[in-house]
Amino acid sequence: MSEVRISAEPRTEFGKGGARRTRRAGKIPAVLYGHGEKPKHVALPALEFAAALRRGGMNQLFTIEVTDGTKELALPKALQRDPIKDTIDHVDLLLVRKGELVQVELRINLVGEHEKGGLLVHEHGTLTVQADATALPEAIDVSIEGLAIGANVTAADVTFPEGTELVSDPSTVIATVTQAPSAEQMEGEESSSEAAVDEEPAAETAAE
Amino acid sequence: MLMPRKPPKGFRKPHNPKRSGKSKGGTKVTFGEYGIQALSPAYVTNRQIESARIAMTRHIKRGGKVWINIFPDQAITKKPAETRMGSGKGTPEWWIANVKPGRVMFELSFPNEQIAREALRRAMHKLPMKCRIVTREVGEV
Repeated sequence: MSEVRISAEPRTEFGKGGARRTRRAGKIPAVLYGHGEKPKHVALPALEFAAALRRGGMNQLFTIEVTDGTKELALPKALQRDPIKDTIDHVDLLLVRKGELVQVELRINLVGEHEKGGLLVHEHGTLTVQADATALPEAIDVSIEGLAIGANVTAADVTFPEGTELVSDPSTVIATVTQAPSAEQMEGEESSSEAAVDEEPAAETAAE
Repeated sequence: MLMPRKPPKGFRKPHNPKRSGKSKGGTKVTFGEYGIQALSPAYVTNRQIESARIAMTRHIKRGGKVWINIFPDQAITKKPAETRMGSGKGTPEWWIANVKPGRVMFELSFPNEQIAREALRRAMHKLPMKCRIVTREVGEV
């Protein structure tokens, strides 16, 4: 994955007031740390950073060009989002070096169609892998073509590109196909809950 | 209908829970493919949860799975009508889940997206707040 150059300004004001002023100015408060260095507080341009993350995902490598003249390679480590507006509130950036091996969460794309009559259950959407910081894969395609009911795909079934090693437990289940509940089963669930409704007032009075 | 199996620990007639702030967790779809996310705060009663679940399951008929991520474990009291003030707190009347904006309350897994969205839309009509349909983004950041 190619790296994205992004300019950053050093941050001088902290706390919720300072962070809010930074956000209002169209910037994201961020912190750069790693390699035992002193953390550096910066502000990143919100639109550019969000666009880069949309394209490259969480494993997008950034070249942070701070206006004080320093240039750092960094990977997003943690992200805080607003649950309603879906904007980025704060970013933790981890300093990396070229050729350094890093552990990251790799996104899994399920491709293909499983057996008809089954219900696909995603168990894990990501796997932890170790790879070169400058050659991180964006995502990995995992085929579920013709996956039978009751069968599952585990981390051990995934073939990773060269230079990428699995760190997660190989027995980690990525997806499983279960028997889809029939109309009778769902109807049965409803009738049992309706029966519980009749019992409810008595239960409530007992609780009182 | 969802309700605590035994009286909750603490007080039998607690104060009404705070409705300020946003949801601190449970803001993403984690089990199914689609979900209903709250956009405003509300007390969701166990009857509303059940009603929404029934609306969803009756529409998808079969071949899907529904997850309910909220639980009505909070008692809300009410004094009887035409009663003078005083003489203690009213009796517990409802069980509610205190839902704050951002919370994904229901999740649904179904192969057909159009049917799944319609099922969630029907369920949203049973809920007391503004909601939106959200989808699972695998490995989302």
